[in-house]
Amino acid sequence: MSFTCDKQTLDDLNILGKYKPDSIYSLFGGVHTSGGEQLLDSLFRHPLTDPAEINRRSALFRYFQDSVTAFPLDKEPLSVMENYLSTGGRGHWLGSVLQTGWKKLTNSILRDETYSVIQDGLLSTIRILNSFGGFMGRLDADGPYGEQVRKVGALLDDRRLEWIKEQRRFSWFNVARYDHLLRNVLQQEMKTLTDIIYHVDVCVAVGLVARAKGFSYAHAQPKDRNMFRTTGLRHPCLEKAVANPLSLWGDSNMLFLTGANMAGKSTFMKAFGLSVYLAHMGFPVAAEEMTFSVRDGIYSSINVPDNLSLGYSHFYAEVLRVKKVAEEVSGGKDLIVIFDELFKGTNVKDAYDGTLAVSAAFSEYRNCMFILSTHIIEVGEALRVGRPNLQVAYLPTFMEGAVPRYTYRMQEGITSDRHGMMIIENEKIIDIILSEGKVSN
Amino acid sequence: MAFITDSQTLEDLRILGKRGEDSVLGMFDRTRTRGGAELLEEMFRYPLSDAAAIQYRSGIIRHFATAGTDFPFESELFDITDAYLADTDERTKLSRDENTLGSRFNHLIGADTEYINIYKGVISVIRIMQVLKDFLETNGDFDARGHSFAGAANGSPYRADSRATRALLADAALAPLWAEQANAKLSYAKVADYDLLLRFRHRETIKKILRYIYHLDVYLSVGRVAVERKLTFAEAMAGNGHSLLIEGVYHPFLKHPVPNTLLMMADNNVLFLTGANMAGKSTFMKALGIALFLAHMGFPVPAGKMTFSVLDGIYTTINLSDNLGTGASHFYAEVLRVKKVARELSLSKNLFVIFDELFRGTNVKDAYEATVAITAAFAEKRSSMFVISSHIMEAGEVLKERCNNIGFQYLPTHMNGHTPVYTYTLETGITADRHGMVIINNEGILDILERGRQKKIKP
Repeated sequence: MSFTCDKQTLDDLNILGKYKPDSIYSLFGGVHTSGGEQLLDSLFRHPLTDPAEINRRSALFRYFQDSVTAFPLDKEPLSVMENYLSTGGRGHWLGSVLQTGWKKLTNSILRDETYSVIQDGLLSTIRILNSFGGFMGRLDADGPYGEQVRKVGALLDDRRLEWIKEQRRFSWFNVARYDHLLRNVLQQEMKTLTDIIYHVDVCVAVGLVARAKGFSYAHAQPKDRNMFRTTGLRHPCLEKAVANPLSLWGDSNMLFLTGANMAGKSTFMKAFGLSVYLAHMGFPVAAEEMTFSVRDGIYSSINVPDNLSLGYSHFYAEVLRVKKVAEEVSGGKDLIVIFDELFKGTNVKDAYDGTLAVSAAFSEYRNCMFILSTHIIEVGEALRVGRPNLQVAYLPTFMEGAVPRYTYRMQEGITSDRHGMMIIENEKIIDIILSEGKVSN
Repeated sequence: MAFITDSQTLEDLRILGKRGEDSVLGMFDRTRTRGGAELLEEMFRYPLSDAAAIQYRSGIIRHFATAGTDFPFESELFDITDAYLADTDERTKLSRDENTLGSRFNHLIGADTEYINIYKGVISVIRIMQVLKDFLETNGDFDARGHSFAGAANGSPYRADSRATRALLADAALAPLWAEQANAKLSYAKVADYDLLLRFRHRETIKKILRYIYHLDVYLSVGRVAVERKLTFAEAMAGNGHSLLIEGVYHPFLKHPVPNTLLMMADNNVLFLTGANMAGKSTFMKALGIALFLAHMGFPVPAGKMTFSVLDGIYTTINLSDNLGTGASHFYAEVLRVKKVARELSLSKNLFVIFDELFRGTNVKDAYEATVAITAAFAEKRSSMFVISSHIMEAGEVLKERCNNIGFQYLPTHMNGHTPVYTYTLETGITADRHGMVIINNEGILDILERGRQKKIKP
């Protein structure tokens, strides 16, 4: 079964999107080949649910992070080679020779360019094959990537490819022969080889990001362990992000988070969601040490928009979102659920009743893990009673004169910090409204 | 000075829209030419803040809507003309001297595509100009039945445009055009002459004339929509009246909208709106915003009747999302938004401001204090108008004491057994309606969770 993550969650966490700044995809998007990009795309779209497979993949990324410092192939000949091999045809060698001969002839007489395109493609391919062979030769044949190392070695040691090591210039007849060999006879072998190149491309890119950002690899546990633990969790897209520890398990499966505005509640919840998602991909996570048991999916409700065309108000959109999660949870799935400011689109009394009733019902599902935040601190006090599986934590605010300062460090308890009016006063909004034409920045 | 607005407002009201969405622009776009479509979008991007300009445009649209005038041109002609006029390369110019035997033969067998394209271009420009001339003769200073408007005090609202266009057409250089028969074949020499005339020497004149046709396209297209959707033309008032009367305003994207009526003036320039969830607060605010926006374009509005003092701009805040990229929480995003509007207000601009659920991103006490403080400050700006919705009815009670120029309206909810029923019709006062838990229970969320748990315990 695949890992479930719907569009709302992907949007909330800003995961996909090649051209979106700050998306997680663009963070890891430093691949060099179009094939690598497709592979990265499919990794992002299909997180794993098998712990052994996740650990195998993350071990591989770690191996690349430790042993490779840069993508070993030149970009230009590589893209020429991608084009060249992708246009291969099927045919008899005699036909190929005659065709190439004809192209050579038209090239010298009519300056037709198809012959030089073939020649370029061939030469670029030889360059790439040689440098890729050298690169793979330097990797450990018994290491995590050993299987591919041996496969590439065997491919390039093929007797039919002996010529690639020596020659630099070819007669038209040899161009025809080798062109036929690479694009027809060895078509399947070349496909295997380029696939490995794409894979290496992704592994190197991911390893480099992990090294540059100081990410680490999470350890996946079987589902029935039912736990999530990290000694320090931070948001992968923020520079100088503050790390916070977090542990959730069956007997303590719900975290109730409070804090003033801007204290970092949403950021922490997004960081949690992202670490879960990336960990299920086997990707490096922005955490110090992290162990998790695999889940069936993740649902978040952070920025739920209203939808007038369907006649939904903001509040109703939230209700429907919660309903959807309730259906999934009661369907027996093991999920991670994130609710930021549940029912913020309604009045306080309703939000209090709703949050309390819904949270209490959800918390009984010990196989799922929940983080919820709210401004209504009274809910926390009421929820706490008789529920040992509830953790309470807050993000504090300190006042430095009239200016609020945030530590972004989670502490145990429920806070009644509020500094909304102070922020408004600091922005001098009332003064600006009442001032007449004298605006200073 | 241009009417000011920003991207948040355009998105809230869905003025321009994204692909595959309903948008106000899409609703009006029945243009027949590409130039007309571009011009329409330009009008949406730059609404007007001058009463005379608004009245002028709305007068023309109303005139054509009443007359039921059809766009007199064939649309294909404009595609050909666009492509033809776009090519300003001197080397493609036809020359009379090159009419050799060889080229004649090429024309004969139709092999010379360049010539064919120029030929088609020339023909379509001539056709457009001829149709335009006919059209103006019947629709200029005259009404549809050919009676002259000259006797009436105002004349046709289109007469200024019509006269300007006819002045351009009266250029002596264009005189040979009028003699051409509709389907006659032109000789090579004639095509070469026309090509030089239309595409090079008088290119700017032709472009100006086309621009008038694009305007005409927009006017007719909007007029048609006005008739089909039974829209109303708003009356713009210049000067410092600071008033807005809008009767029966509704949201144009809804199938069965409920109309509402609102009156705002300088001594009643703030509307504090309450109501339960789903009672229709946001929809009413969006409808109001759209009507105001359209009115400032001189376009017809989805309302029964509307008179308004022209304002300098409109700002709405309905769907604001947080922005982690710039490090702003939801609450801070709201604060910055209010600050931005505050700056504009302090520049003595007359604005229309809509805030849906001011400060929903914070705790209740803060939201209460902030709503009171900000709304009371807004109320001081008598030349601007504000519509503010809130769930915090207590803020309304305090504001009632403190300010005498705030109007209070609410959208009611009636309970029909366990089902809330909404009238979507404004009533005066502040409501304490709340039915959030009812909605949650009606969706059966707690039942779903309970059932799931029972299932798990049983096996």
